[in-house]
Amino acid sequence: MANESKLKALLGRHRALLQSFAVLAFIFVVAVVVSPLDIRGNNLFLNPENLTNMLRAITPVAIIALGMTLVILTAGIDLSVGATLALSATVTALGFSQWQYPLPMVIALALLAGLAVGVMNGTLIAWLRVQPFVITLASMIGIRGLTRMLSDNENIGLRTVGESAAYFVDTFSQKSVMIGIFLGLAVIFGALLSRTVFGRYTRALGDNPQAALYAGLPIKTVTIAVYALTGLLAGIAGVLNAARTSTGNPNDGIAMELDVIAVVVIGGTSLAGGRGTIIGTVIGALIVGILTNILGLRNVDANGQLMLKAVIIVLAVVLQQGRKA
Amino acid sequence: MTKQWIVLAVSTLMLMCGCSSQSGSNGNGNGDFKYFVVFSQCNNAEPYRAAQNKRIEELFAQNPEVKLVIYDGQADAAKQISQVENAILQKPDLLIVAPLERNALSDVMGRAMDAEIPTICLERDIVEPNYTTYISADNVAIGRLAGQFIVDHLTEKHGEPKGALVEITGMKGVQGGTDRHNGAFEVLDKYPDIKAVHQATGNWFQGEATARMEEALSANAQIDVVYAHNDPMAYGAYLAAKEANRADGIAFVGVDGLPAEGEQYVTDGILAASFEYPLCVDKAHEVGMKLLTDPSFTPEKTYILESRAIIPEK
Repeated sequence: MANESKLKALLGRHRALLQSFAVLAFIFVVAVVVSPLDIRGNNLFLNPENLTNMLRAITPVAIIALGMTLVILTAGIDLSVGATLALSATVTALGFSQWQYPLPMVIALALLAGLAVGVMNGTLIAWLRVQPFVITLASMIGIRGLTRMLSDNENIGLRTVGESAAYFVDTFSQKSVMIGIFLGLAVIFGALLSRTVFGRYTRALGDNPQAALYAGLPIKTVTIAVYALTGLLAGIAGVLNAARTSTGNPNDGIAMELDVIAVVVIGGTSLAGGRGTIIGTVIGALIVGILTNILGLRNVDANGQLMLKAVIIVLAVVLQQGRKA
Repeated sequence: MTKQWIVLAVSTLMLMCGCSSQSGSNGNGNGDFKYFVVFSQCNNAEPYRAAQNKRIEELFAQNPEVKLVIYDGQADAAKQISQVENAILQKPDLLIVAPLERNALSDVMGRAMDAEIPTICLERDIVEPNYTTYISADNVAIGRLAGQFIVDHLTEKHGEPKGALVEITGMKGVQGGTDRHNGAFEVLDKYPDIKAVHQATGNWFQGEATARMEEALSANAQIDVVYAHNDPMAYGAYLAAKEANRADGIAFVGVDGLPAEGEQYVTDGILAASFEYPLCVDKAHEVGMKLLTDPSFTPEKTYILESRAIIPEK
């Protein structure tokens, strides 16, 4: 009996993955078909330059989505990631321009800022037992305020503040670096979720909190850890965003949390908790990335794009509901 | 399973429709136009930007041999960079960029130049001169015009240049706002009897300006002039004063002078004056068409456009 249900679950997981792949393949094929051609008559969407542009464009959202997957698996949510990204980007810019710190220290400080926000979120949620939505809503507002205060409401440019800032911008805005960091993190988080005790606990927490409690799982520690990791990832995304735009802008990442959540949901993770995978989230990010890219290449009206994306989110989730059956 | 197939069919249709709704928008081959022009706009969802888009579409509509495409950066620098990258791949005959940020767009515009795409930098400067030509207006000069108007108005009202001024500024850290402040106070500072009794930031928004003006009204029994860094904020301040029954004694001065906005407010007698911030796209169209059609044409590196005072007809 136990073996049979295990087998079923395994099959179910693979089918879920297959379905996610199917949606991705479908979007990809449509993109190829409707793509404009370049001067030589080659497919513009399939141009390697364009594909890597697309991957780099989705990288910050995709990186944060890895952590958001863990958070959502525990049936939580983190609304503060956009503000945390702005904080990290601003700290990066200040580190180079105002504080004149060496490069490793600037990056460490920016990541630490992200991690600190995550630890704060997790600790408040775990110890005060206030809903994650409320705590992270509050920190979304508060961290935005802190960021604007730190930057004195200014965009801090990185192009003219010195050699190490220039080196930072040149290095970390490269496609290979940005996409490489994302892929590396995806592998790490995939392994973390599927091959470690921490991953099992994370899933168990959202799947059945009562059972997790009675089983004596370290609920508080796991909760703090998933928010801390998400904060850290938002910090990494902030550093990359600062390099990419050569700017620390206190208004970066506004409404980004919603893009991140959309990626996770499209990737098949249930907001009810307990069900979802990292590979699903990677696929979700690719779906959103390809969609944004092809709509841009076709120059579909920006407001129309938003409407179309709304429909795609609902459709992707409806398509995946089939896995329950 | 049936449900999923239906969903799949519907989404295919939607995507196809969505994508083909702008058919021929790619610059290559399948349209009967000769020149492909990309305008990378930093944020469509601002009145000034929307007016720019509308005007540039009107202008290029006069040239049927030109296909114009507008990308919307949605106030996200990374997004705008990606869009310019997309544009470069399509090798347009002319690229016009209204950059969201000075630093962020500098590098990618350099790559457009490397790809030998004539590039016009519109309205906002970038850090390195990675453009064929830069077309802008001078916010400091506009501020000076506004400052002089305020001095003249107060002199007319009180017989000498004196009075109480409320300034409602744009978003802190935006160069345009800083320049509009500096220009005005370059003039106003010469008159010590003109006192700035209240300064607050409205972040360019009408609603915030109303709230800040309510505070200014509570704190100050006498206000002669409100100088707001854009027309919506000037109008927002007016609404607060009107509710407090104090609008009649106050002159509201705004900046931008868009036809449907500031100009209309002046016509309606709500604003005492607005100072046009040129859309810059007329010049971009003129210079752009020369770049497209005249191989011998070399533009100036910089064009600074003049402002115009919009005041009620006497």
